[in-house]
Amino acid sequence: MATSSMPGARFIDPAVLSRIGNLELVAKRVVDGLINGTHRSPFFGASVDFAEHRGYVAGDDIRRVDWRVYARTDKYYIKEFEADSNANFSVLLDVSKSMGFGSPISKLDYAKTLAACLAYLANAQRDRVGLITFDSEIVEHVPPSAKHLDVVLHTLDKAKPARPGQLIAPLRKLAEHFGRRGIIVVISDFYAEPEEIFHAIGPIVHRGNDVVLFHVMDPQEIDFSFADPSSFEDMESGDQMPIVPTKLAADYRALVQSHIETLSKKASQQPVDYMLLNTRMPLDFALFRFLSMRQRLARTR
Amino acid sequence: MSFLAPLFLLGLAALAVPILIHLTQRERKSVVEFPSLMFLRKIPYESVQRRRIRDWLLLALRLAAIALIVAAFARPFLRGSNLAAAPGGARDIVMLLDRSYSMGYADSWSRAQRAAAQALESATPADRISVVLFADTAEVALRSTPDRSRAVAEINAASPGPGSTKYGPALKLAGSLLAESLLPRKEVILVSDFQRGGWQPDGTLRLPGGTTVTTAVVEGAAGPSLALTPVALLRTRQAGQPERVTVTAGVLNRTAAAASEVPIQLEIDGRVVQDLRLSVGPNASASISFSAVTITAPNTRAMVRLGAAGAPEVDALSRDNVFNFVLTPAAPVPVMAVSQGPADATLYLSRALAIGEAPRFDASLQSPEALAGDAMNRARVIILNDVAINDAVATKLVTFVEGGGGLLMALGQRASWPQSRAAWLPAAIEPPVDRTRGAAARLSGMDYGHAIFEPFRAPRSGDFSTARFYSYRGLTAAKDASVLARFDTGEPALVERAAGRGRVIVYASTLDLNWNDLALKPMFLPFVHQLGRHLSGFKEQPAWLTIGQVLDVDAAEIAAGATSGSAARAAAGRAILTPGGQRRDLSTAAAATAGGAAPVAALELTEQGFYEVRGTGRDAGPTIVAASNVNIAESNLERMDPKELVAAVTGNGPSGSTSGQDVLPDEAQELAQRVWWYLLFAGILLLIGETILAHRYSRVRT
Repeated sequence: MATSSMPGARFIDPAVLSRIGNLELVAKRVVDGLINGTHRSPFFGASVDFAEHRGYVAGDDIRRVDWRVYARTDKYYIKEFEADSNANFSVLLDVSKSMGFGSPISKLDYAKTLAACLAYLANAQRDRVGLITFDSEIVEHVPPSAKHLDVVLHTLDKAKPARPGQLIAPLRKLAEHFGRRGIIVVISDFYAEPEEIFHAIGPIVHRGNDVVLFHVMDPQEIDFSFADPSSFEDMESGDQMPIVPTKLAADYRALVQSHIETLSKKASQQPVDYMLLNTRMPLDFALFRFLSMRQRLARTR
Repeated sequence: MSFLAPLFLLGLAALAVPILIHLTQRERKSVVEFPSLMFLRKIPYESVQRRRIRDWLLLALRLAAIALIVAAFARPFLRGSNLAAAPGGARDIVMLLDRSYSMGYADSWSRAQRAAAQALESATPADRISVVLFADTAEVALRSTPDRSRAVAEINAASPGPGSTKYGPALKLAGSLLAESLLPRKEVILVSDFQRGGWQPDGTLRLPGGTTVTTAVVEGAAGPSLALTPVALLRTRQAGQPERVTVTAGVLNRTAAAASEVPIQLEIDGRVVQDLRLSVGPNASASISFSAVTITAPNTRAMVRLGAAGAPEVDALSRDNVFNFVLTPAAPVPVMAVSQGPADATLYLSRALAIGEAPRFDASLQSPEALAGDAMNRARVIILNDVAINDAVATKLVTFVEGGGGLLMALGQRASWPQSRAAWLPAAIEPPVDRTRGAAARLSGMDYGHAIFEPFRAPRSGDFSTARFYSYRGLTAAKDASVLARFDTGEPALVERAAGRGRVIVYASTLDLNWNDLALKPMFLPFVHQLGRHLSGFKEQPAWLTIGQVLDVDAAEIAAGATSGSAARAAAGRAILTPGGQRRDLSTAAAATAGGAAPVAALELTEQGFYEVRGTGRDAGPTIVAASNVNIAESNLERMDPKELVAAVTGNGPSGSTSGQDVLPDEAQELAQRVWWYLLFAGILLLIGETILAHRYSRVRT
């Protein structure tokens, strides 16, 4: 078992987790050890958590007038509370052929485990969980529901990288689909130009959805540590290209790094959460980082 | 250097394969699946580097190996001076000259001689020439001479014979002559009219490897070609009258032109007795019968001739226009039947012998006293029916049989044989066995493979078991004797043994009704005839023979009525008069051909006409005349393709066998062609080296 150098966390090698097979068990195993992270709802509503006072305007429910403040100030103020977090949590999982790359654990397996963990976590927080798998089109659609965790896990389980992918068209299509604001997690290898990616997820973001991008990459994709001159075949198009890796590795790494930086930069501008996940990175570590980031963002909101 | 299979050199195009592999495939070891080439496509890529050849040594090894293997398959052949000149150019030439009688057609023979002499013109003093004249047999006329003029003289001295064409013996003889030759080049020159009938394909007939066969075809002149076929003889005999014979002759026309009113003559003893005319359609045959002629004297020489004697021949091939045959009245076989007792003791036997036709038996009934005189010398077969034999008579009988006579001893109550000569008989004679009480003995266990019982072999051809034997003499067969029949008790009934040139048979019972009723059974007559025929050694003699056949002189003498005494004397010396008028001694020829203790007098017929054989000395027995004719098949002049024959005996195509001039002997050819083996070996060695080197390179790179 590979462990991270991060103290206090029980990081589990994703390759080991992938061997368990039962996504619910994996998700429970990963999530239960973490803190019961919460996230605040963007809506104000009836809850025990006080948010703020505001002046009464015509039409407000008089039951929400804070009478104690009225007694002291002789002005009508309305007392507002944080609404309960009972959000839609949807995972958009890229199942294109390129996600099948990677050894010992493929990017898709890693992504499926991650999606399962997130769904399990959301469900534990009473959120409604849903799942959409896509390649060049939408493959499977599980609408968000408080009772759909099993369906989500089952759908994840049977997802296979079968067809070439195309990120833009499905995302644009999905933008119209999310009527209710919620949390949207996109898990993909993002083999597309950053401008096009953010152009596609723009409508989703503008509808008030909280979007998180998980960029899953295999170490080989990042390091390009091939040695022998070979013919490289595009897993999606089937095109072949003779490559001398030693000659191209440096240029390749620079291009990939530039791609990641562009994605990260554009994400911060949207604002969209972006996180690069190396499949060698333990899943709970990834989740931990994700939740930490979410909490930090929630505080700043 | 040249190549036996130059088309294989096209395989050198395969040299391009390793070069292309080195240029194009060197860096494409494998295909790596990668999620997306999006970033890789953005990198400026220079592919020139792939086209640079690395591993020059490996490439050179591969190219050399392919080139050597391709060269080996092309079978390089050294024509270098050391190999071609080493055996020299000397030839061993065998001239096969067809001298069958068809070569006598018009001027065919002189043209054949010219063609043969012309074929030998290229012979050098280093060459050796053998001349073989052949027809149905082949003989070496001249053996391995460097003198071309002698060979030509031998060819000019030869003339066509009466034989028919047979290529097989001639080619076998040529093959054996060339097999002994030490000269590097072997050649057979075949001069013939190439009649189709002379060639029987024979898979075993092959000339030594590298032999060149040159053929010279002697074309037969176009013209009429008639041939006489064997005559048919119809013999008629009337009581008290001499035998009359009707001769029917057949004529075969092998040309497309009809022959009309062709004269045809029957000659008897050199005189024309009948002269007829005959017409034959194109490619057809016709027959004509002469009036019956009376035959009074034995060995009458008869001849049918196409065309008139002294007149021009009806066609250019004269030998088949004559057909010889011999007309002889059938001579009876002299049989001496001896019986002791009442006159009717030999009644059944004498009646049975009187009926015989082929052969006729001239039976003389004698008393035992006659055996003491010289009557025995006039007989061919002696039948003793229950006769006691003393020492003196036994001695005479032994001489009679060993001189070629036949003896049948039928045993009864009185029969005896002197103890001193008991071993000479095929069976020891025991006391009589009485079967008058109880069931009579019957014959069983006949040797149907034997000449005596062969006619009774088929079903319903005579049942010997119907005869009842009330008494018989016990017999103990000698070890070297044959038991031809047994009684149902298993005791021998008929025992035979050869003695000298003759035969002895002992029959355990009598030939009358004293001890058995066989004489009353239907099979008695043929049984007695078979006994007489077998003991006399009689064989029907044909009225003519064909050249190449063998005349059995003994059988012919018997058929002509020879007695045992005359046969014994004649065997001591016989003279032969050939159709060509030559006189020869047969005894030496017989000893040479048979070479055994009891030589068979045989005469091979080699000439057309009449052979005469007569014993030398006083009372030498009958003279034999045998007619000899040419083989009618030879008159068919239909020609075959010489290439067919050449291809069969050389095993090659006809062109290769007739045109090849620089043929080396097998050993030299093998030596000259052995280069391929070394090339292949070197190619394999290079491939092994390449494998090792490539493996090392591969390990270094990984």
